[in-house]
Formats: sequence, structure tokens, C-alpha cells
Amino acid sequence: MAVCSGSLIRVGKVPFPFYVLHKASDCQQRVKKPVGRSSRKVKVNLSASLATSDEGEMQDDQLHENSRMKNFHNAWVKIESTIKDVLHNINADVFNEVDSWVHKSFDSICSNGKPDANKATCAYPIVTDVTAKQIFTALVVMNNMEFVDDLQTFADLGTHLQSHGCHVANLSSVDFSVKSGIGGCLRSLLRQILSSSIDVADISVLASWYIEHDNYKHPVVVIIEDMDRCSGPVLSDFILMLSEWVIKIPVILILGVATTLDASKSILTSKAVQHLSPSKFFLGSPADRLDAIIKAVLVKPCSGFLVGHKVAGFIRNCFLRQDGTLTSLVRAVKMALVQHFLMEPLSFAVNGLLDEESEESTSVAEAWPKQAFDLPSCSRRLSEPKSEVALDGPSKMIEVMNLWSCVVLCLHEAGKKQKTTLLDLYYEALDPKLYNLRHSDHLELKPDSQRPSWIQGINGTSSKMQKGGLIGQTTRQVRDLSPAALLQLVEKWSKQTDGFIEIHEKVKELQLQEKIEDDTLKELANRSRRQTIRNSGNLDRSTKTLNDKAAALISCMTRDHMQPIECIPFHEIVCFKNVDKLQAALCGDPRRRIQLDLLECHNFLKCSCCGKSSNAPSSSMHDTTLMYTLAQEHGDLINLHDWYQSFRAIIFQKTVKERHRMKVSPSPKKRKMTAEPQNITEASVQARFCRAVTELQITGLLRMPSKRRPDFVQRVAFGL
Amino acid sequence: MDENDMIDEEEYEFSRNYFLAKESGKSVKKSSAHKVSELNLADEQELRAEVSNIEPRHEKEIALLINSYKKLYNEWVFELRYGFGILMYGFGSKKTLIEDFASTALTEYNVIVVNGYLQSINLKQVATAMAEVLWDQLKMQLRSASGGTSRDQQPFNSRSMDDLIAFLDEPHKTENECLVCLVIHNIDGPGLRDSDTQHLLARIAACSHVRIVASIDHVNAPLLWDKKMVHVQFNWCWHHVPTFAPYKIEGVFHPLILAHGGTSQSVKTASIVLQSLTPNAQSVFKVLAEHQLAHPDEEGTCLTFSVFKIHHVLGDIWYD
Repeated sequence: MAVCSGSLIRVGKVPFPFYVLHKASDCQQRVKKPVGRSSRKVKVNLSASLATSDEGEMQDDQLHENSRMKNFHNAWVKIESTIKDVLHNINADVFNEVDSWVHKSFDSICSNGKPDANKATCAYPIVTDVTAKQIFTALVVMNNMEFVDDLQTFADLGTHLQSHGCHVANLSSVDFSVKSGIGGCLRSLLRQILSSSIDVADISVLASWYIEHDNYKHPVVVIIEDMDRCSGPVLSDFILMLSEWVIKIPVILILGVATTLDASKSILTSKAVQHLSPSKFFLGSPADRLDAIIKAVLVKPCSGFLVGHKVAGFIRNCFLRQDGTLTSLVRAVKMALVQHFLMEPLSFAVNGLLDEESEESTSVAEAWPKQAFDLPSCSRRLSEPKSEVALDGPSKMIEVMNLWSCVVLCLHEAGKKQKTTLLDLYYEALDPKLYNLRHSDHLELKPDSQRPSWIQGINGTSSKMQKGGLIGQTTRQVRDLSPAALLQLVEKWSKQTDGFIEIHEKVKELQLQEKIEDDTLKELANRSRRQTIRNSGNLDRSTKTLNDKAAALISCMTRDHMQPIECIPFHEIVCFKNVDKLQAALCGDPRRRIQLDLLECHNFLKCSCCGKSSNAPSSSMHDTTLMYTLAQEHGDLINLHDWYQSFRAIIFQKTVKERHRMKVSPSPKKRKMTAEPQNITEASVQARFCRAVTELQITGLLRMPSKRRPDFVQRVAFGL
Repeated sequence: MDENDMIDEEEYEFSRNYFLAKESGKSVKKSSAHKVSELNLADEQELRAEVSNIEPRHEKEIALLINSYKKLYNEWVFELRYGFGILMYGFGSKKTLIEDFASTALTEYNVIVVNGYLQSINLKQVATAMAEVLWDQLKMQLRSASGGTSRDQQPFNSRSMDDLIAFLDEPHKTENECLVCLVIHNIDGPGLRDSDTQHLLARIAACSHVRIVASIDHVNAPLLWDKKMVHVQFNWCWHHVPTFAPYKIEGVFHPLILAHGGTSQSVKTASIVLQSLTPNAQSVFKVLAEHQLAHPDEEGTCLTFSVFKIHHVLGDIWYD
């Protein structure tokens, strides 16, 4: 193998399939790592946008860059651990359930006799009783068509069981492929259980290991995370083999199934199914997990990083329309985080902001850096004539954001009965336009009403917000709640708003009124039935008033305290809004973009020779782009002869033009320029044609001639 | 919703274009039955010579365009460092761009380049090379940390692929982060296009000591990966970097469309036969071919190679 630095190594004209370009430079060896894996000194220079000449400023920039990287790291660590905690809490119950089932099953196997050295040395265990060949099997239903979200769940389950004394192997469908056969999965099992490299795929190795030391005191758990994708015959063979050995090695199977419990019957052979003694377990629904993560990561500002309305919309659409996986949502958040700290020079000022733990500490800066006053959100606020110049520091931002998340969570509580998802609510709550609309409506209504301000919103007939939107719907739903449900809701609000005096007091007031109503109800119940019937109309009315008040309260909270991040000055420092950048980084669109490259090549090359305005074919164009432009005039089949002729005609077209110009123009310079095209030979045009076709073939935009149609190539893409 | 309408509109446009193209295809087919043979085609050798001598155009603009991506290098390094794989796409060869990036911005990493546009690539050898460079770096760090010699390792070339992946993924206690960056030109190339290879690459890419930078050229390349590969293993960060640079090396193995079918067929057949040979036999043929190419003026062809000469040329391979 060749080792070199920087240059391509080739022998003659044939490149190596692979080579070492260079080894890690020595300078890296000398860099001391501060703390933790990722907190090492990040030698990334992001100052391209902050070019300065002054040395002092440059030093500042360097400091700021380091702060940005540090902030990024802290924010991501925080988000990552939050997600981990959330998922851990969601899965905790199922994990404990599975764990106790595993131990019960193990005890049940052991009740038939514990494995001992005598049995292990037997060449093959003699089992005559069919029931003794049963393998205890947990079917863990993921409730999810996409197994990618549950990869981590099964890895966590493995760790959980391991910490409770089990020998665990996590296998996946890759281990159960037809190609690798039973040897492949067995090898993988042995590798994980025995923690060493085993070349021979022999189950007796596992049996011998199992009776060594104290290994036999614990069950062997085999987790197969995505049974639906395994090869049926291989998995069936594996199960049959395990069933033969189950007395010697008490294996317990945990199979992840996507949605249906019948999966085992449809994948496995009936003989294998007979050996399974199944139990069912259900993981939390993906919707619950989604809500919990949205709540912990995006609604509650846990990391000093937030996303804008459009970005939230993009993430929401990705989830709902394209992918539907939590994994992609988390990936999108990480990507947004990376892009934010890369693009926002002032993100160095995020330090400790919005971090709950740092509230008491002094790490939150008291004021924004002076450069922040040039931010659009700040200058816009300063330019507003009537607004009081409320350019508060970071602590105020934390306060506003906490209030916002408190109201969003109250709304979510209110919408839970109607299965309102937090993702939708979160998206709408971030909309700055809706917020401004709510405020303008409020200002319009104010002079007409004598009622207390917090009742206004719900009764404001012209409120556009009330007409549609999830928040409007949720608010209206509060009016239709039963007294018991209302009582529960207000209690939840009370808990949720604890610590936010301005809202909490109003909720308490409502709770008090409810209590009075409740007492009245009890009193009425004690009276005679006749009286009750007479008074039930009054009771209904009073309950209705209570519902109205609750609806008005949430409406008021929404209007006054749910200020989206994009309406707060200086939000650019913590809020990522560049949805285009995020989209481009997350989901490349080669099919569209490569075609656009070819059709609008001038946008990239910006050459002076080709026409600036139109993309009309001309001989100066890049050959492949010219050919692709010409291909647009054909149907799905392109006649090679015609295509070549039109290409050739355009290549020679210039020559004629130039000749004409040469005749007209006396300038020797122009005459010189035209000398080149005259040299074009037929063979060179054919060569250029061939290369352009090859390039289009590489991009996959053309299918080559078939034996049936040797004179035609086929277009693959139609429209962008 | 507006967005829904837009999507519907796009879908409508797409199907309309497709059927229009189908329609016009039929009419063209009817009217145009010209054959390639009607063209006054140059001789294949002449054509090949012309292809290799095509005068480069827009050179300055292409150089400027490629140069304009330099300012993104730091972003790419940052994304790599934090666990994303860099995937470059856009029209034009990205070989020069990626190699420049790797040579200038990834000096702190071990970098291994894979030419995915070649027909046959042995991933086991690639993984072995990766493990070797990583082990070299780890050894150096451990030596400098402990002041003594580090423990011996079983030679990597005798290890299984699973072992190699386990080595690349296992946590090593070192002072610095030791990373191997795998640069793959055309991860969607003919030698890497099959599902097994892609799964293997994804497993390698997911290792804690591995980072990946790759390029794709085919418009349907994303179909090679499932969600686990995209989101968890490769964890791609897409970068649209059209270069418009000619696909010189990438296109070498494609037959010329205007060359006579027979020759292109024989090239294809020869490459299939070559692929079926053992790596050692392949290298024998390679050395012979290289020798021949290096001495075009020497008398005699491969057939008249004297035994002595073969012995002389292949000596290194047989006795190494």
C-alpha cells in the first residue's frame, strides 16, 4: 500500500482502489486534551465572516470562537442527556416488567434442574419432553413501522438487563441474513456473550462457557431488535437449535416486532413457532415519546438553544410527511444546533443562558454584548416610535421564554382530551404573526369593553385567532369540558404555573371559584331530589360560567404571556431560523439539484462567454450542459443520431458566426479569437459528444442504448 | 394548506412532464429512425485519442468555483468532528475538491481514500488499512503517555471483518481523539453500489473512531440507504457542491457511445473476467499491463514476453 501526503498515487494510469492519503499529523499528538472527549480544543476557525485587521479584535474573535464551540458542546450534551432521560423514564416501566419476567422464566427453567458439568460434557443434550424444549420468548411490540427509533430502546433494554445480572446479546436482522446463515448469527451471539473473537460457530462453546465459574447462575438473554426484517428460515433454524440446547443453556428470547403479534407466525416455520412460549410486552407509543421529547427539548428551553417558527415547521413536516421517526427529529435538532453555532457569530454570548441549573449561578451575563444592538430584532424595536424601549438582558429573555413554555404546556394539558399533539401546538405557538395578530385584536377591542382584561379574548367576536388554528380550538374546547375534567385541568394548570406569579394567581382564583361551586354542588346533593331538579338549571349555568372563565383565562395567558422567541429582541443569538440551510444539510435533493446544475450552469460558472440571461444552447456552453439542454427537446427516447447532429450543429454554429464577424470586424484581436473554432474536427466533436454522454450516464440521467434499441438512449428524469 | 397545494402542484407537474415526454417520444420515434451508423464515425482509436485530448473549457471559472468552496472547509471539519458524515453532490467531478479538503483541512486525521468509481474494491483491505493506521496512532500516543512500549496486537490482515469493525469502534483510552477519516469518491460507484457493501460501509462509518467524507454523482444515489443507514450510521450532512469539472478518471471505464459496440462489449467482458480472478492474479495482470504501457516502443507484445522478462517484472510480487 502506498503512503503519501497530498498527491494522488497511481501506478501508470490505473488508480489504486484505495490508499492512505496521509496519517494524522504529529502536531495533533502534542495538543493536550482538556476535559472529556468532545471538549478538546477545537481548532476550527470560524472567523471568515469576522475578518478584522486589529490584533486585539482578532484575539477577541478567537476567544469568541472558542466560546461558540464550547457553547455548542454544552448545549448538545444537555440536549442529548435530556433526551436520554426522557426515553429512560418512558421505558422504565416496560423494562422492569421485562426484567422480572426474564427472572421468573429463568427460575421456571431452572426448576427442571440446573445445568451442571455432567450435562455439559454430554455431546448432545438428550431431551425427550417437547415441553422442556420451549423457549421463553418476549414479543416486544414497538407500535412503530419504523424500527430505527427502537434501535436505541433495545440497546438500552440490553444494558438494563445486563445491569440486573443477565448475559445479554443484542442481535439484529443483519445477523440473520441468508448470506451469513446460522453461522453468522451464532458467531455474533458468541462474540457478545463470550466477549472475545470466536472463529468456530459452535453452540457447544457457549454451553461449556455457561457452566464455568458462576455463569450458570444467570440467564442468557438474546435480543433480536427487528424480527420482521430477519430471514425466516435462518431465524427458524436458530430457534430450533436453541430449543435443543435450552436445558443446558437457559436462553430467553426477546423479539422486537413492529406492529403485530402475528409476525412470528408469518415469518417463522410452524415447527419453530411450536418451540416458543410467548409473552407480550408493549413499548410506549411513538406519539407519547415524541411529545415527551418535544416538551423536554424544544418547549422547555433546556439548552440555551431554540428554533424559529419556520424551522419548527420544517421539522414538523419532516416528521409528519416524510419520515415519522424520532431519530430524524433529533438529528434535525442537532443539525440546527450545529448550523446555528457555525453561522451566528454572537452565539458566543449564549453561555449559561436558559440553563435551569445556571439560574442561581452568576454565569448568565447581565447584558448582551455591544454587537448585539445591531441585530435586526433589536434595531427594529429601537426604531418603533411608541414602544417603550424594552431591551432587557438575558435574564429577561429567560423569564419570557419560561412564561411562553408554561402557557404552551397549559394549552397542551387542555388539548390532551382531544389528542392535540404537542408538536402541532408548539409549531403554532412559535408563530410570530399569530402573536402579533392576537395583540392587534386585543388593542382593537380594548376601548369597547369594561370587563376585566383576561375575559376579553374569549368573547372578542372579531378575534381572528379564535376562528381557526389549534390554539383557538383548544381554547374553545375548555368551554365544553365536564366539571370533573375542568377541575382536573385547573389543578394541572396550577402545578404547571407554579413559580409564575402573574399566571398562578389567576389560576388559584379560578380554583377557589371552582371550590365554591363544588361546595354548592355538594350542598345541593344533600337537599331533596325535587329541589335539585328545580335548581339544576342554575347549576348548569354556574358551571358554564366557570368553563367560560377557564377558557378566558387560557386565552388571556395565550395573549399576554405566550410571546414567541422571534418577537423577543436579541433572539437571533439563541434562535436558529435559517430553514433553507437546515433543509439543504438534512435532505439533499440530488435528483433536482443535479438537473438544475446542468440547466442553469451559468449561475455557477458565471462565465463571460455564455449568454447571461437565457439558457439557450450555444457553442460556448459546457458540453454536458449543452447536451442536457438539447435532451429536453426530446421525449423519453433520444435518437442518438439526431442528438449528435443538433449538438454538432451548435458547435459549428459559432464558427459560422465568428467567420461572419471576422469579415465585418477589422479588429485583429477578434480575428485571433476566431482562430480556435476553425480547428474543430468531426472526430473532436464526436469525442466531446461521447464524453458528455458518459458524464450524463454517470449522473444517472440517461439510460444507455439497449440491444432492442441500439440507436436510442432513454431519458430518466422528467421535470425537476 | 398552501404547502399542500404546492406539493400537489409539483406532483401534477411531474406526471404531466412524464406523459408529455412519453407522447413526444412516440412521435419522435415515428419520425426519426436515423441510425448511429449513418454518421461518419471516427475510428475508435482516433476517438479515444480525441477524448483524451479534449481541450479543457471554462477552466478558469471551474477553478474559481472549486476555490470558492474553500471557505466552507472549516464548517465541514466542524460537522465531521461532531459526528456527521459529509456527503457532497452536484454536477462535476469532486475528486480534486475532496482531496484538497482532505489534504489541507484534515491533517489532524488519518485519511484513507477509496476510489469508488473503480470496478472492484476490497472493503476488507480498506478496513485493515484503517485499523493499521489507527493502531499506529494509538501506539504512538500510548508510548508517549506511558513512556514504554505498548502491547502487541494480532496482525490485522488475519482478522475478520467483524473484529476489524469492533477494533475501530472500541473505546481506546488515549490523550487525544484518534480518528480515521474515510474519503470515498463515488460511494455510489459501480464497485460499491451493491446492498451488502453499502451496509458494510455504513457499519464502518458508525464506528467511534471513523469519520466519513463521500461524494455521489448519481441522481438516485439516496435509494442505496435505508433510514438506519442515513440517520444513525452515515448520519449524512449534505453539501451541494457542483464543480463542472470533467469526470476524467470516473468516466474511464465507461464505453464510448459512438465507438463500435463490439469493442465496448469486449472491454466489458474483459473486465468481468478480470474481476473473477484472485487479487494476486489481478495484480500480475496489472503489472504486465503497466509494464507494457510504460514501454510502448519496445518490440513485441504481451504474447511474446520472454519468460525471463516476466520473471524480472513480477519478481517483486512473487518474492515479497
